[in-house]
Amino acid sequence: MDQTTEFSQTEDSPMLRASDLTHQVNLETDPLTILQGVNLEINRGESVAIVGRSGSGKTTLLGLLAGLDTPSDGTVELDGAVISRLSEDERARLRASRVGFIFQSFQLLPALSALENVMLPLELAGIESAESRARELLERVGLGERLSHTPRQLSGGEQQRVAIARAFASDPAVLFADEPTGNLDNRTGQAVSDLLMDLNREQGTTLIMVTHDEHLAARCGRQLHIEAGILTEPEAARELAD
Amino acid sequence: MAAAKKLMSVRRDWRERDVRVVLAALVIAVATVATIALFASQLQRTLVSSASSFLAADRQLEAENGRPVPSEWILEAQDRGLETGRMVEFSTMVFGNDAFQLVSVKAVSDEYPLRGEVEVQQDRDGNRQMVANGPAPGEVWINPRLLNLLQLDIGDTLEVGNRELTVSGLLIREPDGGFRLSSLAPRIMMHVDDVDSTGVVQEGSRVEFIYLFAGDEASLEAYYQWLEPKMEPSHEWEGVRDGETFSRSLERAERFLLLGGSLAVLLAAVAVAVASRQYALSQRDTVALLKTLGLPGPGIGRLYLRRLALWGLVGVAGGLALALPLFWLLVQMLADVLERPIDVYLDPNALAPALLTALVSLFAFAYPPIRRLRRVPAMRVLRAQPGETGREAIPDLVIALVAIFGLVWMYAGELTLVAALLGGLVLLLGVLALLGWALMTALKGVSGGGNAWRLALVGLYRHRQASLAQMAVFAMTLMLAATLVLVRTSLLNDWQAQLPADAPNHFLINIGPESVDQVESFWAERDAPLENVYPMVRGRLVELNGQPVKEAVSKDERINALNRELNLTWMAQPPENNEIVEGRWFARGETEGVSVEAELAGRLGLELGDRLTFTVGSERVTEPVTSIRTVQWDSMKPNFYMAFPPGGALSDLPATWITSFYLPEDRKTALNAFSRQFPTVSVLEVDHIIARIQQIVQQVTQAIEAILGLILAAALVVMAAVVSATLRDRQREGALLRTLGGQQSLLVRSTMLEFALLGFFAGVLGVLAAEGAVYVLQSRMFEGTFRWHWEVILPIPFISAVLLALFGRWQLGPVLKVSPMLLLRRLE
Repeated sequence: MDQTTEFSQTEDSPMLRASDLTHQVNLETDPLTILQGVNLEINRGESVAIVGRSGSGKTTLLGLLAGLDTPSDGTVELDGAVISRLSEDERARLRASRVGFIFQSFQLLPALSALENVMLPLELAGIESAESRARELLERVGLGERLSHTPRQLSGGEQQRVAIARAFASDPAVLFADEPTGNLDNRTGQAVSDLLMDLNREQGTTLIMVTHDEHLAARCGRQLHIEAGILTEPEAARELAD
Repeated sequence: MAAAKKLMSVRRDWRERDVRVVLAALVIAVATVATIALFASQLQRTLVSSASSFLAADRQLEAENGRPVPSEWILEAQDRGLETGRMVEFSTMVFGNDAFQLVSVKAVSDEYPLRGEVEVQQDRDGNRQMVANGPAPGEVWINPRLLNLLQLDIGDTLEVGNRELTVSGLLIREPDGGFRLSSLAPRIMMHVDDVDSTGVVQEGSRVEFIYLFAGDEASLEAYYQWLEPKMEPSHEWEGVRDGETFSRSLERAERFLLLGGSLAVLLAAVAVAVASRQYALSQRDTVALLKTLGLPGPGIGRLYLRRLALWGLVGVAGGLALALPLFWLLVQMLADVLERPIDVYLDPNALAPALLTALVSLFAFAYPPIRRLRRVPAMRVLRAQPGETGREAIPDLVIALVAIFGLVWMYAGELTLVAALLGGLVLLLGVLALLGWALMTALKGVSGGGNAWRLALVGLYRHRQASLAQMAVFAMTLMLAATLVLVRTSLLNDWQAQLPADAPNHFLINIGPESVDQVESFWAERDAPLENVYPMVRGRLVELNGQPVKEAVSKDERINALNRELNLTWMAQPPENNEIVEGRWFARGETEGVSVEAELAGRLGLELGDRLTFTVGSERVTEPVTSIRTVQWDSMKPNFYMAFPPGGALSDLPATWITSFYLPEDRKTALNAFSRQFPTVSVLEVDHIIARIQQIVQQVTQAIEAILGLILAAALVVMAAVVSATLRDRQREGALLRTLGGQQSLLVRSTMLEFALLGFFAGVLGVLAAEGAVYVLQSRMFEGTFRWHWEVILPIPFISAVLLALFGRWQLGPVLKVSPMLLLRRLE
């Protein structure tokens, strides 16, 4: 499943590399294997969709790739750092500088305004001009008039746009998105995915997305399928066959 | 860091229910502890000053040897900044218009009284006034009974020895009109400068010189340290705390205040712990997000520590802001009771326990669950993670128990109290675990259905973990509140039982053996029957097992009983309120042995069989100790250190009889007829003392009730904390039930029933644990006797059931008002 050479772009080393990634959870009776022997390389600036049915292991994979969790076995290398060997705090620091997130349930802090929600990661990364950068991004996502509104005062689509602004705020090298349109209706979902793809292109960010949405997946440069913890790449296989 | 700061600001925190509960609990903890500490300190001061007036000073130095003390002693006291005054007391015959009368004279200096006031009537119209001085030189104030006995009137002349003094007032009450057997005859009060000119006090006369001292406690203590080595056996240093009658009331009041304070601390700690655990649970999503956004664990730790510190500041500031007006109100109330203004005394030391309480509450109760937030996995942003199992909370519980133990110990300084409360709590938790298991096993079989009872039972079972936890907290809260109510009730009952409205308020002393029967029939005819009449022989304890008693007893012990003559008696049965604690009472016909009062026996180190030698006049009497008994000194009945059997060693010695009885104020004129008929019998009027004691009891009662109110408020906060802990879940469940077609009335009934059941069981457990704690406290700390308090045991479970049902109804409110759709969305 090593398809990296074909997609190598700016630099030699891949943005993300997973080797022999296995993840198990211990249930009361037997350990349950969620991921098995996943190998994967994603290059800089690439956009990758991971698709699969509920329970197939895609969210677990996303968590491991983003360093939110550590694998039972195997390694994950993010931008040259073997994150599966870093401590949790080291992984957090890496995330602060290199990684952005978009979630299905938006994950905005209800007590903060739209502007403050976007400022938060900038402040955590110690960026001085946090407020002007946040304003700029919120204007870019079309919420320039809603800066002081709290999540409760925003619709689902608007909340996800705030989340997208937040994700791009710290200028991440890689962006992880977990079902970014999963909680939205078709039209809103379409608008949000347009925005996401546009921004991704503008910023040249590496995008790794878990989704059910086939249209959205189709807009990514590459699609990976996961089933019962095993990753396959039909698109690439087809290309190879061609 | 505007956004991050805002995330951690108290203003933002305030919008979270759990934070509000933590802050409210902290504010109440600090306010309660500060109020109690401030008020206890004030009460202490006021009570001591009020009790000090019983001595007319803070301390008295008595010289019983008929000689004044060296003048350097007094100068030294003045050098140390103490106020001083002096008095001379003696008995003498005075001559009025046409009769002689034996009187007890108190001659006082200008400074008298240093504490308290003299009540005097300076005209015949009966206008009484309180004054802070004695009579001027050349004047005398006399007991009203002397007007009749000596056919005198105000303005007449009274001859005291060689001196004629003008009767300028009637002495109604002297602050230090204490209970002294030396002041047998009616009192007259004159100026001390006139004493020499009377010629009555000669070398060798039986006269007491008494010196008064007042000042701050530290100076008084330092002065006593200086004075003690110079004092002779005939010198006696007396402070309020030595006075048997009042010190007990003071001590108990103090202990009760401490108990109340400790319970308030416990309750607040429980509230803080419950609310902050809930808060920590609600913060897990935020922490996971912050971690995902790149904030490492230590950064998260710092954020929350800063937040705790902020809470602490708000809690302390808010608590003190609440404590000061509360304290002021209590002081005003005290002033009303005392019917006099009080100097408000803000004791800075009283604030230390409040600050410490805030600190400990935050770091021992609030911090542990918040500290664990650092361990929330970042993965939580993607997927719900298994919640806490409760096992992590075990170290928290240990920290909390140690902290509670330390806090209460520091606060009350009483190991018994700490042990009783913790014992009660542990007992409670044990029974709770057992009952919880039994209850849940029993409920397992109940299946759901359309009726409110079934739904309630199923609800209890489904929420069994939360139910048991809530039951534990409710039961603990109820236990603490009930302990306080029970101790208060029995404390007050004890006091009232000791001094009932018809407690004897007059003593008759010096009744000759031949007139005992006549005296008895005199008062029986006037419907004021006498209590027991006891023979009394004055004697001094001189030897213990053949060794002089002062050598036999450790020098460290200052035992007043050894410095003066004791009242010895004989009796066939011990007085009702005496209790034999060792040995046995004299058998019928037994003539050997002596029964000794327990406290004195303890201080002398007496054991059964020790031989005591007394001198009575020129006679010596030696008897073995055959029993040791407790004496209720504040019973206002004749009490004796030493009791002999009838027909025993004392029976042949010359004795007079003593008794006490109750005479209401409006029948006091009968005393005049009595004095004329029995001129040699002395009447000791203690009705004013009793009134003062009752007043003190009333003050303390009021204080106790005020504090009880505060503590019950703390209990309510705990309840609110616990109920709000499950609020969201229950509202979501309620909304779901409604969405699924549950009727409002069914929902209300089943929720109220569920809470009522919870409240009932918690009530039963709480009351039982409270009885356990009261049993220990009662027998170890308050020296009372334990009994079951059915009047409290029976209603509390029902009250608690109703209260909790109402709480349940209240938290269901939004579920019923708002559409289930809206509510579910809001609770997302």
